[in-house]
Amino acid sequence: MTVAKSQPSGKVTAALMLIWIVMYFAVRFYLEARPDLASWARLGLSFLPTPVFAFFLWHFIQGIRTADELERRIQLEALAIAFPLGMLLLTTLGLVQRAVELNFQDWSYNHVWPYFAFFYFIGMLIARRRYT
Amino acid sequence: MKNRLKVLRAERNWSQEQLAERLGVSRQTVNAIETGKYDPSLPLAFTIARVTGLTIEQIFDPEENGH
Repeated sequence: MTVAKSQPSGKVTAALMLIWIVMYFAVRFYLEARPDLASWARLGLSFLPTPVFAFFLWHFIQGIRTADELERRIQLEALAIAFPLGMLLLTTLGLVQRAVELNFQDWSYNHVWPYFAFFYFIGMLIARRRYT
Repeated sequence: MKNRLKVLRAERNWSQEQLAERLGVSRQTVNAIETGKYDPSLPLAFTIARVTGLTIEQIFDPEENGH
């Protein structure tokens, strides 16, 4: 039956996301500034933000699991829009890369990932508009 | 699917917030059901029926499309 459960705070989820973003850019800029570091140290630093993101993901999923059924529907539709759009972006970039020479500085992994967040928010916007 | 939830809530002088609390859902969910933008799951429909003291058939009309 539909029972209200204690829901993880959305503020905590947002804070974890913010911490991850800060860590990501800190590591990114540090790696760019210190090309002299040993490979093992650079590799280790690359994975530094991962545990924070894992914790954010766990918190986010807990939030969805304890959300009410309409919120879960909205999240599902948002992801149903965002995931194929992400696939479309990557496959199109793959084809374009074969067609012409893409500038790595413009289309590296560093620049593509924000589009996934953008697609998710587009999906959320569409789904929320439909039900509210 | 059309429903009488808004009328039933008004008859009981409940706000959307109060009904949402009784149902264990958000106010947005109650609003979406009332406006016909969202059809509730069977468990939620049963909860609505229990809270209002009616049967599901007295609240929801599957013959009419509320959209």
